[in-house]
Amino acid sequence: MTKAARILIAGSGAVCGLGMDPATMLEAILAGRSAIAPITRWDATGWPVTHAAEIADFNPRALVDDRKLHKFIRRTDFVGIYAGDRAAEAAGYAQHRETLDEASSARFADRTGVYVGSGGGAFENQYDFFPLMSEAGGDLAAFGAKLAETVNPMWLLRTLPNNVLCHVGIRNRLKGSNACITNHSVGGSLAVIEAAEALKTGEADRAIAIGHDTPFEPQNVLYYHSCGLLAPDALRPFDAAREGSVLGEGAGALALETEAALAARSGSAIGEVLGGGYVSEATGLLAIRDDGDGVARAIALALADAGIAAADVGMIVAHGNGTTQSDASEALGIRHVFGDACPPVTAFKWALGHLIAAAGIVEATIALLALRANVVPGIAPLATPDPACAGLPVSREPQAPRSDIALVLCRGFAGSDAALVLRALPA
Amino acid sequence: MKPHRRVAITGVGLVTPVGNDVASTWAALDGVKSGAAAITLFDASGFSTRIAAEVKGFDPRVITAERKLLKYTNRSHRFALAAAEEAMRDAGVAPTDADGERWGCAVGTGMMGVEFADLSGVQRNSAAGGELDARLLPDDPAAADPLAFCRSQSTAGVALLTRRFGIRGYATSVHTACASGGQAIGTALKLIRRGAVDRALAGGFDSMISPVGLAGFCLLSAVSADNETPELASRPFDATRNGFVLGEGAGFIVLEDWDCARARGAHIYAELAGDGNSLSSYRITDSPPDGDGPIQSMRAALADANAAPADVDYINAHGTSTGMNDRSESAAIRAVFGADAKRVSVSSTKSSMGHLIAAAGAVEVAICALGIDRSEMPVNANYRVPDPDCDLNLVLGAPRRQRLRMALSNSFGFGGSNSCVVLRNPDLVDGPR
Repeated sequence: MTKAARILIAGSGAVCGLGMDPATMLEAILAGRSAIAPITRWDATGWPVTHAAEIADFNPRALVDDRKLHKFIRRTDFVGIYAGDRAAEAAGYAQHRETLDEASSARFADRTGVYVGSGGGAFENQYDFFPLMSEAGGDLAAFGAKLAETVNPMWLLRTLPNNVLCHVGIRNRLKGSNACITNHSVGGSLAVIEAAEALKTGEADRAIAIGHDTPFEPQNVLYYHSCGLLAPDALRPFDAAREGSVLGEGAGALALETEAALAARSGSAIGEVLGGGYVSEATGLLAIRDDGDGVARAIALALADAGIAAADVGMIVAHGNGTTQSDASEALGIRHVFGDACPPVTAFKWALGHLIAAAGIVEATIALLALRANVVPGIAPLATPDPACAGLPVSREPQAPRSDIALVLCRGFAGSDAALVLRALPA
Repeated sequence: MKPHRRVAITGVGLVTPVGNDVASTWAALDGVKSGAAAITLFDASGFSTRIAAEVKGFDPRVITAERKLLKYTNRSHRFALAAAEEAMRDAGVAPTDADGERWGCAVGTGMMGVEFADLSGVQRNSAAGGELDARLLPDDPAAADPLAFCRSQSTAGVALLTRRFGIRGYATSVHTACASGGQAIGTALKLIRRGAVDRALAGGFDSMISPVGLAGFCLLSAVSADNETPELASRPFDATRNGFVLGEGAGFIVLEDWDCARARGAHIYAELAGDGNSLSSYRITDSPPDGDGPIQSMRAALADANAAPADVDYINAHGTSTGMNDRSESAAIRAVFGADAKRVSVSSTKSSMGHLIAAAGAVEVAICALGIDRSEMPVNANYRVPDPDCDLNLVLGAPRRQRLRMALSNSFGFGGSNSCVVLRNPDLVDGPR
């Protein structure tokens, strides 16, 4: 059997509360700096949750230069488009296309896909109807009659979950295979898995995979809190004193390309997607299994897909969302696969916050850079590792990776568990 | 390249505006009955469009899932559970503890998670003046109901379905607006082909017939305002078409590895033979008039199915009844089919059941499977005035009874995602049964 084509990573992009690119994020993590801070987007005095990992100086023009577009997109779309554009730029799409004639450039467009894990809170975009609802006072006939004079005619378009897919396509003139995955936290990781599969099967020659989310809006924060998922002010993965997660916001993107296509345009790569695995625990929307069954199965599938053994993994970026049950069951799942020979484990959410649909892919962009720097960043707020997570090689201090391969884990609502296996290529 | 693992469609389930299961939906299509009427779900009297194709007389007691699951459902989730249940029952196979991890699930999910009643509660309590006062929110009971939160999530549907059936493999939700259902089925096809799972439940569900959902489309002038003649309002490819009719419902199919299906003696409706998708990268709501975008998705789907235009007998068109879509799709069909465009039969079942948005593609793939199985093509209803830009071989007046070798289902979404799914008569795979 011939070996499957290699799927290379030609560039990356990311934005979150820690910075506007993955290198800045890694630097902050290594310095023990977290983006988690008091909420400023609204007055959260007296709230049960007071902290989040906001993009503090959210600057729409710095994220998306085209001001005409601003009225058609939401906060989550700004960060998603930004990350997608940066990955396309890092991969040198535009530069390469300048060398192509019209027909070849059209072929490039048709052979380049876009795969997006899309998030965004479900609530704030509906608040555009509040002035109308207030005016109509519960009278639906009045609501209908005054609609056109009160609500932005483009409202539905701003609300589309597939806006990042649409606009990254238009802005970068990409027209190939595509998907918009609306599957909560695993969305970004699934975008990488599906983009890599499209390249393996020849559906596309290259594809941008993106995950974006801004879950941190008032009503959402309260719901997450009422479901017992949030800590008031800090996220401490695998620590005995952990109290829950903290929401963040951001986006990440990877530009994937087949080895042949990248070589044909003399491009260079920062890494390689070796494989992925994804399963459901069939537990319903919020519940997860205590035994880490889904985590273990996703890892096993990803290793098999990558054609590597557990011993080949150099570091694990755990989901580590800081909730009691998720971290404990994740530790069991990891231990189930790796036993006593577990590579160094870290987690990034204490610094980034939980980026929900963007979590897996932003963490993947940072993991690649960490491997290139030959470091497994420490978990700064880790004071007392939870005995329930015993046997997991987590540390407050940086560790040395065992190889150039990272396993990036991601878990989400609907009992979903995703695992990515990535290799960093030397700079 | 090694040949694809073949995928069989062995179960179909529907909840549509013309029928709450497969039998009643097909009978209505056969009798050319319209599902469109005045809106009854809420007082739409002030809206510019006051008609829609509602699901009628739906009884959630058809859902045999544990009662407490229903607390986590909104209207569209109940359609999904009912249609999925019919499809699974029809296939006669279900995940077991032993093989649940070899089952997958891919669903096209609607975009309107928040129910109007829940939104209204928050508005009254925390935004009485029209702007949210975040200080009031922590004490607002309307913003504290975890069940409302669960129902609002894009993953609510897939969570309910995987739990209901014990599906423990790859399970995902996708949303590319009106292309969602088609892309979900394409995703499931790929999961089986690449060996991630052996069987999959795939489909779509949606209900946007609510004050906010209808408002979104009214503001864009995308829906027909023929309020006096709702049953004639959806008239795809007719020169006087003036927008779509908003529908709701769910469509699900059960997909299986071909050899697994044959080995257990399952009835195979059709081979799910190919999937193609593309991005128009043109404008958010419009398709390019020359069909660029849809052309690539149709060509990719045919190539994926190892088929040529000459092999196709029926196209279930996206055919929304908007000026732009129907013109663009006609141009794309002409470009892809060339001389065969005059021969291949085309109909849009949105003419009868309206536009089911995220469920549309899935329902229409199911109709193609039923059409192949029953050697029949549903009509393109309400067509009277020819449009020279849409000179297709439309199925007019009465259903066309004819053996179908291959059928093709188009779905194009706002945002520019185009999906095309190709089905093949099972006789052509391994002979008549």
